[in-house]
This record gives sequence, structure tokens and C-alpha cells, in this order.
Amino acid sequence: MPLEVMDRRASDNEYLHRDFHGALSSALIYLEEHFGAEGLRDYLRRFALSYYAPLREDIRERGLIAIADRLRAIYDLEGADYSLQMGADELLVEVRACPAVAHMRASGYAVAPQWRETVRTVHEAICEGSPWGFELLEYCEETGANRQRFFRRSDAQ
Amino acid sequence: MISCTEFIPAYSELFRYLEERGGREEVMRFWEDLSDRFLGNLRALVEEHGLRGCWLYWSHTLNEEAADFRMELDEEAGEFRIIMRHCPSKGLLMSLDHMEPYHDYCGHCDVLYRRVLEPLGYECVADLSECDEARCSITVRRSANK
Repeated sequence: MPLEVMDRRASDNEYLHRDFHGALSSALIYLEEHFGAEGLRDYLRRFALSYYAPLREDIRERGLIAIADRLRAIYDLEGADYSLQMGADELLVEVRACPAVAHMRASGYAVAPQWRETVRTVHEAICEGSPWGFELLEYCEETGANRQRFFRRSDAQ
Repeated sequence: MISCTEFIPAYSELFRYLEERGGREEVMRFWEDLSDRFLGNLRALVEEHGLRGCWLYWSHTLNEEAADFRMELDEEAGEFRIIMRHCPSKGLLMSLDHMEPYHDYCGHCDVLYRRVLEPLGYECVADLSECDEARCSITVRRSANK
């Protein structure tokens, strides 16, 4: 067999490597095993505060619209079955099947027992320091389906 | 939800977090754990197909990651090589104005893949000398004593 070569430019493909969900899940399992659920949440909060800093700034300026724009972008990209319901002071989110959990289950990756924290802790951290709060109303461990609520905090100006 | 397109910054921040909690040794422990826990598909492909297993594994991952690369497989010479002209992961981290990449972000590649391939009878050599410019290479060869 002669030398085989594959040569690709970045523009040849779309950037969407769903196996990264499995890698993140493995990382969360490791964190819980070595640092407990508290360590896992501490890491996710620190990551969210750091990585989503531009989004957090945007939320302070545009409020719930900034949150809705971000959710639409990632859920559309990942092919999620979801709906958003926007009110004046509240954004309700329903994810009928989480695409990350669906991919992990289909590919045989272990889903971290604390996977829900990628929604709850991350969204709480994104809202930190803003007039907005977050609560995870429901979460299905099997499919990752969930209902979320972003709301204006009662102590906000 | 953290999108799979946001994983790389999460990964980089995890290395930083682990180093703060337990030093460099903790980061290394995690990389070894991740290799054992997550790279079963690479291990299975190389066990079944030999060096071609590397080709099959990276054909999938590098295309989905939209990498800028050249990959070579010479089964007669017993060598597989990836020349990464622009790593999408390191490139993404370098493009973020508000975050610094973990100082040894690229080190995980060498540890994770060597840990799978060496016990299977392959030598795995990573050249990370240009990783600050998102360029690197990995060469996998059959070990002389295999």
C-alpha cells in the first residue's frame, strides 16, 4: 500500500465535534470523584464567570434578550428540540431533549451524575452580579430534558 | 448547557483549576485518567487495525474539529504522522481576548495519546516546539521490539 495522505483546510469542515460532550462528562466524573460535588460546582462557576464574561456584560446591557440570543445560538447549532417564552421580566426555557445527553447515550459515553450542573451552576454564574436570577425547574436525568427560568430578582433595581 | 463548541475553553480552565487545587501532579493525574476513561475508541481501533486505527480515529476527530492538517499513513514503513498546520483548539484559545490559555494546554495531547499507544507497541513522538503558534506534529511508529 503506497503512502496515504489526507490534507484538509479548516474551511473544508464545520466545527462541531460532539464527542467533546463525552470528554466534558469524563472531566466532571473525575472532579466529583476527587473533589466532590462542591468542587465540581466550584470549577463550573469559575469557568462560567471567566469564559462568559462578555455575555455577562451583554446581559447587564440587554437583559433577557442577550440570554435568549445565546441559548438560540447554541441550541440551534446542536440541533436541540427546545422553545423559549419571553416575558417582560421572565424567560422560560423548555428543552425537550438535551442534544449533549442524546449524543453521549448514543455513543456509549458515561453521562456524569452531576451533568445537570452544566445547566444550573453555569446559568446561575452567568446571572451573578446582574439583576437577573436563574432556577432549574425540572431536569430529567435520562434525557437531559429540562425546564429553566430566568427572572428579574426581587432585589434588583 | 455548555456547547461542544465551548468545550476547549472549559478544558483549558479545568487544567488551571486542577493546578490550583493540587499542583502540576493533579493535572497529570487528570490527563492520565481522561486517557483511560475517554480514549477507549482510539485503543479499540488500534488494537483491531494497527496503525490504520490511528488514521481512522483522527480522520473522524480532526475533520469534525475543522482542523487545518495533513495526515500521512505509511503502513509498510510502519509510520503514521499528523502535521497540524493550525490547531483549532489552541487557535480558539489564542483568539479569546478575555482569557489566557492554560500555560501547558498542548501538553495534554502528548500525555493522553502516548498513554494509549505505547502499551500497544507503538512509539509516539509529539513535537510541540511551535505550539505557541498553534502548530505541532505527532508521529506514531511501530516500536523496534514489536
